[in-house]
Amino acid sequence: MTDWCMVIDLEKCVACQGCSIACRMENNTPVVSPEEAKNGREMRWNDVFPLPVHLGPDQGEYPNVKTHYSTRPCMHCKNAPCVKVCPVQATFTDEEGIVRQNYNRCIGCRFCTVACPYGVRYFNWFEPQWEETLAEYRNPDQLSVNGSLEGPAVRPTGVVEKCTYCVHRLVKAREQAKVEGRDFRPDEYVPACVQTCTGKARFFGDLDDPDSTVSQLSKSLRAVHLLEDSGAHPKTLYLAEG
Amino acid sequence: MTKPLSRRDFLKVGGVTAGSAAALGALKNVMSAKANAEIKTASEEKFVASTCHLCSAGCGIIVRVADGKAVKLEGNPMHPVNQGALCPKGQAAPELLYNPDRLTSPLKRDRATGATTPITWDEAIQTVSQKLNGLREAGHPEQAVLMHGDTRGQMRSFLTRFMEAVGSPNTISHESLNIAAAKLGMYLTQGIYGLPAYDLENANYVISFGANLLEAGSNPQRTISGYTFLRRGRATRGKVVVIDPRQSITASKADEWIPIKPGTDAALALGMANVIIKSGLVDADFVKNYCFGFDNFASGGERKGFRDFVLENYDPIRVEQMTGIPSTTIARLAGEFAGNGPAVAIMPGKGGLLNGGFSGVYTAMAVHMLNALVGSIESTGGVMTQRYMPCVDYPKLPTDSVAKKGLATARIDGAGSKFPLGRNSYQSVADQILEGAPVEALFLYDANPAFETPGGKRFADAFAKVPFVVSFSSFIDESAELADLILPEPTFLERWGDDHIEGLGYPGISLYQPVVEPLYDTMNTGDFFLKVAESMGGTVAKAFAWKSYEEVLQFRLKDIGADWELLKELGVWFNPGYRFAKRGSQHWIENVVGAERLNAPRDGYFDLYSRELNCFLGEMKKDELAKLGISQSGDGAILPHYEATVFQGDEAQYPFMLNIVTLMSLGPRSDTANMPSMQEISGMTVRETWDSWLEMNPESAHKLGLVENDRVKIESPFGAISTKVKLVAGLHPDVVNMPFNQGHTAVGRFAKGRGVNGLEILNPASEPLTGLASFTNTRVKVTK
Repeated sequence: MTDWCMVIDLEKCVACQGCSIACRMENNTPVVSPEEAKNGREMRWNDVFPLPVHLGPDQGEYPNVKTHYSTRPCMHCKNAPCVKVCPVQATFTDEEGIVRQNYNRCIGCRFCTVACPYGVRYFNWFEPQWEETLAEYRNPDQLSVNGSLEGPAVRPTGVVEKCTYCVHRLVKAREQAKVEGRDFRPDEYVPACVQTCTGKARFFGDLDDPDSTVSQLSKSLRAVHLLEDSGAHPKTLYLAEG
Repeated sequence: MTKPLSRRDFLKVGGVTAGSAAALGALKNVMSAKANAEIKTASEEKFVASTCHLCSAGCGIIVRVADGKAVKLEGNPMHPVNQGALCPKGQAAPELLYNPDRLTSPLKRDRATGATTPITWDEAIQTVSQKLNGLREAGHPEQAVLMHGDTRGQMRSFLTRFMEAVGSPNTISHESLNIAAAKLGMYLTQGIYGLPAYDLENANYVISFGANLLEAGSNPQRTISGYTFLRRGRATRGKVVVIDPRQSITASKADEWIPIKPGTDAALALGMANVIIKSGLVDADFVKNYCFGFDNFASGGERKGFRDFVLENYDPIRVEQMTGIPSTTIARLAGEFAGNGPAVAIMPGKGGLLNGGFSGVYTAMAVHMLNALVGSIESTGGVMTQRYMPCVDYPKLPTDSVAKKGLATARIDGAGSKFPLGRNSYQSVADQILEGAPVEALFLYDANPAFETPGGKRFADAFAKVPFVVSFSSFIDESAELADLILPEPTFLERWGDDHIEGLGYPGISLYQPVVEPLYDTMNTGDFFLKVAESMGGTVAKAFAWKSYEEVLQFRLKDIGADWELLKELGVWFNPGYRFAKRGSQHWIENVVGAERLNAPRDGYFDLYSRELNCFLGEMKKDELAKLGISQSGDGAILPHYEATVFQGDEAQYPFMLNIVTLMSLGPRSDTANMPSMQEISGMTVRETWDSWLEMNPESAHKLGLVENDRVKIESPFGAISTKVKLVAGLHPDVVNMPFNQGHTAVGRFAKGRGVNGLEILNPASEPLTGLASFTNTRVKVTK
């Protein structure tokens, strides 16, 4: 069975934040107001940030310092805590290993945002805003499953949203293959962040296929999961620097 | 590129499922991407290839146009610079196109009241052509001046041709604010006035002297592609060393970051040269047979060559005192550089090269000479010489006597006269006007000098003395606010244009085309000048026989090897594969070394003793050189050497050097600051957003009693500003940094009032030999 997976080589990542904005333009995540942004709020499903996250004395002293950067989409965990705590089954793992969110079912209880060890679930406290003409560029794609919207259609206030590995691109790629009367190939689908990556640091594919690039990379000695001891069995892989 | 993605209102995948089945699916808590998924999308969709304009890289883009709206940009996989990738600026480009603060129609501004009134394009064209004809009738066409920003491709030669047809030599590029120092370094050594291209893919060892390879260098996406391939794209990984007072993202990603005392890079490069020469690691064939001035030579007396000069003056022990880098490290770097070829030393596009003195150019020369010492000029893994696509020559410019007279006058910015070595001195236009240079009409294309130059506010006074200022811009920026005519330029997604592909050595053209219908009553500035030329009549009209700027492009790009339709479809055309010239061959002499020297011989010799510079400084006496800020005399002034930076502000009173850094997100252009996503992500490295900040070493901050986020006053001899302080451990204790492109007072709602502009308190002076701006020679004090 197909098991979609992303691998991020942190040595090739140059912290340009192209992924953050590619995700925004693809998935219609809004810019938050400057005031809210200063409070630390953000609606970027894939964020880039310097490490350590908390500044402390362990940073080292000049000139023996080295800043590291990381980038963080959803880990699409195999034992996803967010799925477990959801009281209404709004969040679920689909049969191809993507953790998705049904915005119609979501009641906004935010159990999942607390349960997620990675902080990659974002609650819509406010109605998303695009000032005046800025709304023109929103992605017109609307994925619905069994009649309920999953995005990139704009999500309403009061629901939790998250990275979907751009699952609507998968649906579109499959449809395109069908229109052209041929079989869908796994390399026809990558999320927006993978496509735009300036350092070619991101790889995407089927972890279940032993010949795929991601399968090969998952055997690298540099391959690590984020917070491996969380018990969530995160799937998104990192290749550590060094 | 129009690709028929299934065009329909509804794409239905799988069968339509009944409600009960949906409920069952939900109960199982398993939903399928394959079944039951429906995707609704635009009814009409196309993909158009074009080029991004948001920094100097000029990446190829494929724009998804859904129902007539540009909704997403992706990198063009065929484009050799970005190879399908796209940075956050390019990704956010729809925020520029659909920006609510765009200028929507031509405006006329009343100077007395500041009120603007909409006018028609016809009125604008008439006003401009009458003004220019008036100047020609008065016999002073040179009093028309055009200042332009990062204008590349055919637009640059087009604008120059227009101004020359009118009779003005004054087409002034902004390069004195950034890449001119590096270009001069290349010119005075290798004899080519242009930026070198680096074969990073094949280099084994890369040492960057403050070149911001991964964020905002002269071609960031090109260097990112090269860098990541060198690191992890091939079997053996190359080593990267970054010399920079600040641990930039480039430095933090490198194997080694070597903080250096600001402004002393030349000493380090020459210290390395010293070790390389002493250890016998020089490429003997290259320095003996293809370099001039390695050994002492006789030319009207005994002259000192590079070797003896460096051996006498740049022992690592002495260099250690100049740079603050241990002599053992210098020796190790030299050994690594010369022993692990192919190696390449990269000079910055900007940074410490613009330190107010000629020493910045010496630095560029010294760094580039390291490449010559190890034979990395025009060789695999070393320096490549950028080639350009052949463009069809414009017809001979028909100039009348008025134009001839105007063209014979000295340039208004002092390039070639006041600044004998300079080719453009953008920021000094204000000074010249304020000193009384007659300027009757000033055009600003893609230029915002009132914001982007050190001490830019003086442009307000300068503009007040110019009777007629015209701004071409998509937004009302700080400079447009002061103009008489404010003419809306379409954004790069709505107009024709092109760009030369740079950074890979081989030639290519990247095309801009309107991916959507222009949203507002805008006009491509190329088309505007064609209409002005037509209305002016006479020789100016004769010089511009084209009907539209698109036709100009078609004419110029006829011989590149792709016809117009193919170029439109692909968006890019290039001759892949860089062929290195054989040392000393005809090709070498014509294209690689010495080909663009104006005074010294074009004999294919790489100058370690710059004969070109000798033409300018050779005759000067010690006191004349001292006036130019050069402490050495005789051969010492010609050979690259370390000159201590002359800082503005006494060290005791102003302990820190202020450094303005360009960010990946906010980039080099004013309009990017009005893209809300770029504002949001701008301060990622210091956890800041929608604001400016001052980076300071924690120890230095501690001494001043400052903690993170304290508001501080930053004071230089030129003024004071106030922002919040951020503690950055990876920073030289004597240096403070501020981001570029914050502190706008105009442009639009997202840019306006976000923090402060550090350039306001920088030294506004220009370097006396070259007219370069001064970015890194201002000291500041920081108080709570």
